[in-house]
Amino acid sequence: MNNFWLCRKLWSYLYWTPAIVFLSDHFFHVKTITGRSMQPTLNPDSSQWRDVALFSKFAVREAQEYGRGDIVTIRSPENPKYVLIKRIIAMEGDIVKTLPPYPDLEATVPQGHVWIEGQESMPLIGKCPPGDEHFLSDDSNRFGPVSKGLIESKLLMIIWPPQRFGSVNVKANPTKGLSLNDEQRRELSRHARVQISASSFSSGQ
Amino acid sequence: MPWLRTSRLWMSLHTARCSKDFFVARSYSRQPFKTAPGSLSPLKYTKRIAIGTLKVINFLFAVHLFTTYVGRVSFMAGPSMLPTLAVGGELVIEDLITYRLFPSKMARGDLLIVKSPIEPKKMVCKRLIGLPGDIVCVDPTGQIFPSTEHIVVPKGHIWISGDNAAASRDSRMYGPVPIGLVKGRAFARIWPLKSFKIFTNQITYIK
Repeated sequence: MNNFWLCRKLWSYLYWTPAIVFLSDHFFHVKTITGRSMQPTLNPDSSQWRDVALFSKFAVREAQEYGRGDIVTIRSPENPKYVLIKRIIAMEGDIVKTLPPYPDLEATVPQGHVWIEGQESMPLIGKCPPGDEHFLSDDSNRFGPVSKGLIESKLLMIIWPPQRFGSVNVKANPTKGLSLNDEQRRELSRHARVQISASSFSSGQ
Repeated sequence: MPWLRTSRLWMSLHTARCSKDFFVARSYSRQPFKTAPGSLSPLKYTKRIAIGTLKVINFLFAVHLFTTYVGRVSFMAGPSMLPTLAVGGELVIEDLITYRLFPSKMARGDLLIVKSPIEPKKMVCKRLIGLPGDIVCVDPTGQIFPSTEHIVVPKGHIWISGDNAAASRDSRMYGPVPIGLVKGRAFARIWPLKSFKIFTNQITYIK
């Protein structure tokens, strides 16, 4: 009798799993971020917890609203078991000045691809210290541009730890050149390495 | 109905209904007597409708999840897979769960359903030519690249190609494709009915 009651109770919850799976699959899901590759934006050494963040799948799958500067999760092109979290540096048609492990100095991002990079504490152009931690990150400088089809979701906001609760995308404003913080300086240096393709201006991306 | 009054059953029912115990038993029974839907209170009525709607939506979600993770019937058209698949279009059962559960079952010669690496909204059906680590000829036809050029398929990637090389955009054009883009395989053709076929891997290796 007790067993029967348990089954009934369990079924009344299981009954709604399709709806929950659908919502987390197509709209929003919450995930814990592991690894150091997005430091210091995510999982900084100063934090004692791993970051938990809210991701939107809708922005990637349906709306296709993602662009340069957005942090996205990507199914690893080298091993489909893993999902990477990286920042989009350049979209299709852009010309990127690459960083060391990449064989060429400049790369053009082909159609339907994006250029993603992990390490946030990236050197400014022309100042690449030897033994830089850049190699910690598995990014486009190692495996080249990545197909858009591998992008799974876009990071919306950090929800844990509470002191860093909120959105992480800081957009730099080049006119206020004097009062830049570290985050904005990195943002500017990212911009400086990318030559945005002319067609993306006309299409309004 | 005088004839009913004579029947014994009716008499017993009649006496039971007249007695006070009947109503007492009725009001304490666990399952109350059903009322007609018209007599439901408006709140209960809307609640019932809302739950019914949610259940329908839930069912649709379940169907959607089945078609994205287990299998579905889809319409395929285009010249790239001639003569395996016709230009005019046909209905094909896609098996999306085999590779999800057993990624090692992927074999050279399989008909794959792949998200196009250059147009992420599009699905394409191509034949698997090379697995990670294989050395493949970039273009055996020699149309785009010289047919002497060879490449090692990198880790986590595969080499795919259409059966109709003359009218196919495949790995010859965009290079090796990450396995993460593979969604499943074409299992069987169900329409037109006379050309029903379960796709089997008929590849043979030259020793």
